[in-house]
Amino acid sequence: MRTRPAARAGQYAALLAYLVFLAFPFVWLASTAFKPATELAGLHPAWIPQDPTLANFRQAFEEQPLLRAALNSLLTASAAALVAVAVATPTAYVMARHRSALARAATGWVVVSQAFPFVLLIIPLFLVLKNLRLIDSLPGLVLVYVVWSLPFALWMLTGYVRAVPAELEEAAAVDGAGRLRTLVSVTVPLLAPGIAATALFAFVTAWNEFFFALVLLKTPEQQTLPVLLTRFIGAEGVADLGPLAAAAFLATLPSLLVFALIQRRITGSLLAGAVKG
Amino acid sequence: MTSVTEARRSEPRAPGPSRRGRRAVDHGPWFLVLPALIPILVLSVGPLLHGILLAFTDAQSGRTEPTRWIGTLNFQDLLQDTLFWESFRIGLVWAVGVTVPQFLLALGLALLLDQDLRLRWAARALAIVPWAMPEVVVGIMWRLTYNPDAGILNETLRDLGFGGDRDWLSGLATALPAVIVVGVWAGMPQTTVALLAGLQNTPRELHEAAAVDGAGAWRRFRTVTWPALRPVALAITALNLIWNFNSFALVYVLTNGGPGGRTRLPMLFAYEEAFRYGQFGYAAAMGCVMVAAISVLLAVFLVGRLRGGDER
Amino acid sequence: MTRMPRRTRTTPVRTLVGAIALALLLAGCSSGGTRDDGRVTLRFQSLAWQQESVEATKELVDEWNALHPDVRVEYVQGSWDSVHDQLLTSFEGGEAPDIVHDASDDLADFAYGGHLADLTDLLPERLTSDIPEVSWQSVTFGDGVYGVPFLQEPRVLIADAARLRESGVRVPTPGHPWSWAEFRRVTKELSGDGRYGVAWPLKEPVSATLNLSLSAGGRLFHRDAEGKVTVRFEEGDAVVPRTVHEQVNTDRSASPTTLGSGGSDTLPGLFAGKYAMVPLGFSYRQQIVQQAPKGFEWQVLPAPAGAGGLAQGVSPQTLSVAEDCPHKKEAVAFLDFLLQPRNMVRLALGDWMLPTGRQALADPALRTPEHGWATGTALAARLRPAPAQSVRGYPEWKDKVATPALQEYYSGAIGLDELRRRLEKDGNLVLARYQR
Repeated sequence: MRTRPAARAGQYAALLAYLVFLAFPFVWLASTAFKPATELAGLHPAWIPQDPTLANFRQAFEEQPLLRAALNSLLTASAAALVAVAVATPTAYVMARHRSALARAATGWVVVSQAFPFVLLIIPLFLVLKNLRLIDSLPGLVLVYVVWSLPFALWMLTGYVRAVPAELEEAAAVDGAGRLRTLVSVTVPLLAPGIAATALFAFVTAWNEFFFALVLLKTPEQQTLPVLLTRFIGAEGVADLGPLAAAAFLATLPSLLVFALIQRRITGSLLAGAVKG
Repeated sequence: MTSVTEARRSEPRAPGPSRRGRRAVDHGPWFLVLPALIPILVLSVGPLLHGILLAFTDAQSGRTEPTRWIGTLNFQDLLQDTLFWESFRIGLVWAVGVTVPQFLLALGLALLLDQDLRLRWAARALAIVPWAMPEVVVGIMWRLTYNPDAGILNETLRDLGFGGDRDWLSGLATALPAVIVVGVWAGMPQTTVALLAGLQNTPRELHEAAAVDGAGAWRRFRTVTWPALRPVALAITALNLIWNFNSFALVYVLTNGGPGGRTRLPMLFAYEEAFRYGQFGYAAAMGCVMVAAISVLLAVFLVGRLRGGDER
Repeated sequence: MTRMPRRTRTTPVRTLVGAIALALLLAGCSSGGTRDDGRVTLRFQSLAWQQESVEATKELVDEWNALHPDVRVEYVQGSWDSVHDQLLTSFEGGEAPDIVHDASDDLADFAYGGHLADLTDLLPERLTSDIPEVSWQSVTFGDGVYGVPFLQEPRVLIADAARLRESGVRVPTPGHPWSWAEFRRVTKELSGDGRYGVAWPLKEPVSATLNLSLSAGGRLFHRDAEGKVTVRFEEGDAVVPRTVHEQVNTDRSASPTTLGSGGSDTLPGLFAGKYAMVPLGFSYRQQIVQQAPKGFEWQVLPAPAGAGGLAQGVSPQTLSVAEDCPHKKEAVAFLDFLLQPRNMVRLALGDWMLPTGRQALADPALRTPEHGWATGTALAARLRPAPAQSVRGYPEWKDKVATPALQEYYSGAIGLDELRRRLEKDGNLVLARYQR
């Protein structure tokens, strides 16, 4: 398709504007993270640190239990991701292959659950978990994250299951394999990349999650990264911009990494869900 | 290989009419559903019902007074609570104020990315960043940007000679707009990606045919692109609206509802009522009102979606 | 998708199951060690945050543990930022620490809600008599005493000494402070040319306003014969708010941009000469010492005085014991140790604050003119319990009604009548909900 040069130039200008808008806060975060305290206290901040330093990172690690929180986040997010896919895969399979009332109800729930504000959920959940003595414990948080990531996991996985030809399973069934065997030995391997993508997505969701962690985790040793990061912002405003930026910068890296890996897949299932949903 | 293509491939394979007849009676291996169903029932459906019941009690923190049924007293109090309705209004302004620009900007970006432009890869890569970032980090990042003395925004404004003496997040007039900008920034990429995927599903031949017919860019968009994009656009907008209305972390970090409650979204309000002042029953009533509001929004959208489907 | 080699076809499942087991195991392990080793373990949640005070507190905990092998105290780091929410959910969830560090204006709901232990019969005589009666008032709710007040800080003016000298204004002392009117004149004199006489960091406007208003005779909260509390905004209550409002909106002698800032945010402006004075808590001196550029001269001035003299409200920091704590006696013994006069001095120095204990306050280390310590200690006798702290519903009144109303008034969005209307009408509605 031909486009007039003027229009093309306009398109480039617009694209550039978008690039600037998308990038500049992140660039600023990175720049602040590497600035020495004297530059941060000055009244005329510059884009590029004149005297880049790792002092902020050191200070962040020294002053706050950053490693501990990162470990908590890692454990919670991995456990939640693994349990979520383990639990969701069979259900997604049934939802994709069978049109039973149960499957329909599950699909309905996936949609409806998006609409509920967390407050209505968190108050009773808090009381339930309190009775199970799971307040302030990572396993309790894992449970919540599993339930919380199930809707999207089901949504994604159902799409992947549909992409696996049913004929393959039927062939295996003809060979005399039982239902469960078929599922485990034929379908799951074909689904593996999809399951991995779903698990990674659930991982990032849990890694980034803040609200439930804020309400459910109490002692500092249990805190996850997002909760810890809000602790850097003192009661009287931001006291230490540098270490705050450094810690925030570090906390983002794993999410970015994982997202770079799976972005295309999520896009696909988002689309599939939106079109079919 | 992308799952966009997978999704496309899978479309025709969705259970066809011939198979559907056989499977309608087949309930499938129901036990496979249990591992997902039980946690959902125990930790999602159950608590929600419990939450609705709580709204009719005076449940509150402290152990000195027992919880009693109080009928609709909470809702009556809520009707009088001008602060809550103010917060509700702010919530609507926020949800619409974020969702609409988010959609328009995302649509623009998606259309650009659909073109054969040189810097496309950079934009695609950058689009991941806000999406992947923890909301808390997004909030912190923009706090650094908006910081009145050490922030880049004021510094840039100063350099350009626009004063640049504003405290964006704590000015009464600027706080909500400033927070909305962050909301748009944070949610735009996701919308862009969804719309882009939708665009790439529109039949290219139709576009070319229209171009050959001499249709201008706007007419091509109206007659070819938009009809194909409409279902995706509606779905993502409906989701955005709901997500935005329920959002919490971003504003919690940016302003914590201040200054003077100007950015106190309903979620924040209810959170404070429950976990700061310990008024669990009252907060649950707020949650119920929010669910009702969202259901209305959702219904409006679903009706729109169905009508859109009919037109096709 | 189908490129996966055949021979690995069962491994994903096995790996998955193994990984889940491992992850659950790890998550389970990390959720706290055993506490049943026969000894008493007390969890002490401290909110100390400045490096020196964290160190001082940790040292004291270590000393206690060395002396008392069978009553181990475990230091838990808390944060002022969200302490109320955090404690409320901890108490409700049954996971609260045994010994709780907080501030007296935050205790009412926990005390009335039955979450804190009444210490009346547990406190040793030494401690009860060392801390003055006014301080005990701030932790008395109903008939019980629900905490030990131990550190407090007056609000002072931190001034750019060179600017004051150049301008030739009279420098106030605790013996001869500025009046509010004089303060207004001085700030006007110090302003102009993009510079301001004062920068009010009023992110938390309510406690600052109410506490300073005591100096002008403000009370705001009035208890009637039946014990019901109502808000009345009278002339004495209006002096401080009006001064700030006029400085910002009429005289332009106070920076309008800092009204929403926290104290730390104003420091760069102070160092750069943009502001001549900043009203700050006494403990901010530590940050100033740490961050001020070389050659920056600063001094501590008393806040202005009014009809009430130099009186000022404070909400002392407190140490309380949870009602759920099974070893209250041991917990109080630890408090007694922590608040020995010489230990109180260490805590005070670490936090750059004033101790409540009479003996600790007499320590020469707290009376040196260096860093303005002497000015602060001279003000100690004028400190009163903050006006509203025993009022139920005060936190909600503060956050929902008073904070927005004062912020809007200071920024010039509403006038004094509207401020009065909101504080009284909206305010009394909220308070009524708690006093049914």
